[in-house]
Amino acid sequence: MFASRTATSRLLASSSTKIASTSQLAQRAFSVSATQQHAAPAPVPPKQALKEFKIYRWNPDQPSEKPQLQSYKVNLAECGPMVLDALIKIKNDLDPTLTFRRSCREGICGSCAMNIDGVNTLACLSRIDRSETKPQKIYPLPHMYIVKDLVPDLTQFYKQYKSIEPFLKNDNVPEGREHLQSVAERKKLDGMYECILCACCSTSCPSYWWNQDEYLGPAALMAAYRWMADSRDSYGAERKEKMQNSLSLYRCHTIFNCSRTCPKGLNPAKAIAQIKLELATGA
Amino acid sequence: MSFSVIRPHVVSRTGLGMLGMRHISTSRAVAVQASRRVAAAEGISAQDTGGFKYVPGGPILPGTVNDATSFPPADKTHGSYHWAFERVLSAALIPLTVGAAVTTGSAYPILDGILGVSLVVHSHIGFDSAVVDYIHPRKYPVLGPIMSWILRIATGLSVWGVYEFNTNDIGTL
Repeated sequence: MFASRTATSRLLASSSTKIASTSQLAQRAFSVSATQQHAAPAPVPPKQALKEFKIYRWNPDQPSEKPQLQSYKVNLAECGPMVLDALIKIKNDLDPTLTFRRSCREGICGSCAMNIDGVNTLACLSRIDRSETKPQKIYPLPHMYIVKDLVPDLTQFYKQYKSIEPFLKNDNVPEGREHLQSVAERKKLDGMYECILCACCSTSCPSYWWNQDEYLGPAALMAAYRWMADSRDSYGAERKEKMQNSLSLYRCHTIFNCSRTCPKGLNPAKAIAQIKLELATGA
Repeated sequence: MSFSVIRPHVVSRTGLGMLGMRHISTSRAVAVQASRRVAAAEGISAQDTGGFKYVPGGPILPGTVNDATSFPPADKTHGSYHWAFERVLSAALIPLTVGAAVTTGSAYPILDGILGVSLVVHSHIGFDSAVVDYIHPRKYPVLGPIMSWILRIATGLSVWGVYEFNTNDIGTL
């Protein structure tokens, strides 16, 4: 029955187009001026695609009020493709009190790191889920102290980064020329120097959640290994010696959340595994 | 005169007029201001919490934002030796288990004994890791040590139990 109905509708459709084409031909043949045919196109209303965003809100000025999810509806037809575009649109058009960090909008500054639909990522690099039925949930980076709304306090994260001394240390600076490095030596740094310290990996690590006062976390540890692996740095042994305790490095239980969530596609877990291996083998 | 590059109001505001006729650039003026700020912060030690109580993992961080976090004292027993021992033991358990499974305990009592002890030690390391993760003494000064000792006692009792089981009973495997 279903098949027969589609067959008739197809028949109807084909016959109607035939009629339309003949009438058009007649019109064209007897028309006085061609311009009359060019009617102004009917104003097409912009396609409404209302997407709901549920965003974590907490205001430090009202400390007695609990944090809550606030719902915003954004017309995706008037919005850029990325979650950061939606956030900026909400801040511009709907609610100027919404607070979040952003800067470069192209995944190179690491400011807009946040938890989008349960995944730590950069808002500027994650596309809006176009399905209008499901709201998109946006939280700040998990298990951090919150300054306001989507802004976490990264002070400890930066202090830890400072503690691994992220700069070249070498007592024998070559005279009158730069540090030379072979292609193979330079290649070791690939996949580590690209880290933008957005804190997505560290804040996705359960070990970092429970012990972030002592455990350095994947971001700082990968930065540490970046300098251990650098052939121009002569303090590798000292850098490794600092890790010889149960907390700074060895709270890593190879959970791999860090490598999985990294918005830059880096592999902090591998760098941590390299540190462990080099510490154990004395390499 | 080199002084003319700096606008008069900058000179008066930053106190650069005090520097006399020396050749100075604007970057130097910035550096003078920056070092002044550091000097003002010098009174804060890396452990200072401004009168607030420091709680590990809490919102109060010691020192200023420019102070790096510190490392616990280095000790390879808790570092690389512990890690390497953990891995070697885990890897050794595989042939040990297979070996004990294909032989009889009464024929190879040493193998059976090694398996019994290493399994318990392996479990001890695992549980100890959980204690360090979740109830470390720095956060739980009372509960942490209690749990550590409960674990040690349980491990000791287990080794003793396995020994009794293997010598006076039918054996583990």
